[in-house]
Amino acid sequence: MPLTNVLIVDDEERFLKTTQTLLEKEGYKVFTAADGYKGMEALKDRRIDVVVLDVKMPGLDGVEVLKRIKADHPLVEVIMLTGHATMETAIDGLKLGAFDYLTKPCDIPTLKQKIMAAHDKRSAMLDKIQRAKFDRIISHPMEVFSKEE
Amino acid sequence: MKDYYTRTLRNMLVIRVFLVPFTVLLVVYGTIIYFFATYSSRQVKNELVRIATDHRNLIDQFLSEKAAILQFTVASFSPDQLRQKNYLEMIFKNLQIQSKAFFDLGVFDVNGRHVAYAGPFDLLGKSYAEANWFKEIQNAPVYISDEFLGYRQIPHFIIAVKKEEAGNAWYLRATIDTYYFNDLVENIRIGRTGEAYIVNRSGILQTKRRSGGRIMESDADFVKYALTDQGETAFFSTGGWRDGFLYASAPFQQTDWQLIVRQSVGDAYAPLLSSILVSLVLLLGGSLLVVLMGFLMATNVATRLKSADMEKREMKTQLILAGKLAEVGEMSTGIAHEINNPLQVMKSEVAMIQSLTDDIGPAVADKAPDTLTQLMDSVREIGDQIDRCSHITQGLLNFARKRENSSEPIFLEQFVPRMVQMVDQRARLENIRIVQEIESELPKIVSDPNQLQQVFLNLFNNAIYALKGRVSPEIRVRVIKNDQQILVSISDNGCGFSPETMEKAFLPFFTTKPVGQGTGLGLSTVYGIIKGLGGDITLTSEQGQGSEFQIRLPLEAQNNTNMQFNHKAS
Repeated sequence: MPLTNVLIVDDEERFLKTTQTLLEKEGYKVFTAADGYKGMEALKDRRIDVVVLDVKMPGLDGVEVLKRIKADHPLVEVIMLTGHATMETAIDGLKLGAFDYLTKPCDIPTLKQKIMAAHDKRSAMLDKIQRAKFDRIISHPMEVFSKEE
Repeated sequence: MKDYYTRTLRNMLVIRVFLVPFTVLLVVYGTIIYFFATYSSRQVKNELVRIATDHRNLIDQFLSEKAAILQFTVASFSPDQLRQKNYLEMIFKNLQIQSKAFFDLGVFDVNGRHVAYAGPFDLLGKSYAEANWFKEIQNAPVYISDEFLGYRQIPHFIIAVKKEEAGNAWYLRATIDTYYFNDLVENIRIGRTGEAYIVNRSGILQTKRRSGGRIMESDADFVKYALTDQGETAFFSTGGWRDGFLYASAPFQQTDWQLIVRQSVGDAYAPLLSSILVSLVLLLGGSLLVVLMGFLMATNVATRLKSADMEKREMKTQLILAGKLAEVGEMSTGIAHEINNPLQVMKSEVAMIQSLTDDIGPAVADKAPDTLTQLMDSVREIGDQIDRCSHITQGLLNFARKRENSSEPIFLEQFVPRMVQMVDQRARLENIRIVQEIESELPKIVSDPNQLQQVFLNLFNNAIYALKGRVSPEIRVRVIKNDQQILVSISDNGCGFSPETMEKAFLPFFTTKPVGQGTGLGLSTVYGIIKGLGGDITLTSEQGQGSEFQIRLPLEAQNNTNMQFNHKAS
């Protein structure tokens, strides 16, 4: 299994740290961000597969962050983390293209499962894109030179 | 308490609306009766006086007429003529033709000797020198005597006239037929007891008194009116209603007599009394009817006011309750959210510890296996308690949050029995009868079956709990269509709610169950769900009698989003 890069965006420092440790033990590469802006920075710098995003945060709101992620990095899968009361925003998130949502407090194994599922979806999508590109190169080999990816 | 309120209200209405006009009516009635009575008694008096005066005049006229006839006779004939028996008898006959009142006729010489007589008795030659009337006639040309016995020993009175011719006086005397004269007076009748009679100045009856008293007897009542005779017509009354009498006395001009008209008070005032009685009966009957109607109306109004008041109060309670619930809902959302965040951290930490103990497990297993087991156990317990907290916050959020509803057609005719079946086993263990009254041909509703299931189960559980230890426990489920709503009523004959607990029933964490037996989230969840489905739920209950939950569900549940999502599915 290729290394999955996970970004957790949450305002609870301790949650970030512990979850990072736990997930890394499971073989994920985990990055953390304490708010939306830092999260966006992290996405720019690194290749991230899955983002675990707290819906309610000071500063940039979870839904706003999701919108930006989907605009800048459409292939990154996002799992919303909601404290129940923000269920509507989680649902809004789903409509905006989030992969799924989890209600706090969630089990770490459940979280892992969702991350895995999200990663699988992304991999499948990437595969599809890869195959499409490949098909195009085969049918129009000259285009490799005419267009920069 | 409530009854006292109704009674006070009713009494107030009766007094204000009916008794006040009634009192006015009584005052008016009293005034009218007073004036009427005054007027009537004056009428009675006037009537009596009029009768007395009229008859007195009549009899006066009778007497003066008789005296005039005698005067005419003595003036027209000489004493010699009159002494002749057949001549006198001829005149007497003629007089009797003129008036039956003449009983006999006699001529007397200056010494009072009866010198000629025409009549039924044998009085010729008798001397009347000592007779009272003969003494009196000396002083006057005409004399009318009182009743006396005389030689014949029969009560009678006479009219005598005197004729003086050349120093020689002679007298003509006529006896008036006692019966004839008596009838003149005795036949005057007024009402039932009214009578008339004549007394002389000393109270000796000159005519018969119908109520007792023969001629020449003394009138027993004379003392009552003896002093009032002032030569004028007088009116007076004695005694009261039962034994009293009204008197009118009219003195004669021709003699010293007076005509007395006497009637018992009761008889005289009988028409007045009966008219007062009739109107009083009418008044009382009418007032009784009015008061009865007033009472009924006041009762009716009071009952209506009371029920309106109760309705208003209930509505107010519902409003306050709704406000309170909304407030609590908002607060619980905040609390749940704020607690869920730390719970999330704790959960991660527990996972961390578990992971760490897994790591060091093999290393310490030999040295302190018990300690490791205890540690694992302790951590698992923390995990469980976090889940418990999470469950509570979930309950809170169930009460308050807008949730994602699924929209599926539900046929309540099948859905409700299925719900009943789910608790049937438990109910049977407690001997509880569940009665279902489901209207046929209910329209299908579009709602969330999972949430409705939770509503039904929570309410059934509550009912079963409330029915613990009750006699013939019963749960009644009724489903009917009402306008554009479905009305579901779940009632039981259990212990019911006290007024205080009823107000708090839907509040989260409010429970009457002993500690540890309920979180107090059941009804609050029900409330949250029904509100979320666009419905409404109300509770009516009487402590010790049972309770009823009435749920109104729209035919189509409100839904903010048509997206269906079930997080277990993904």
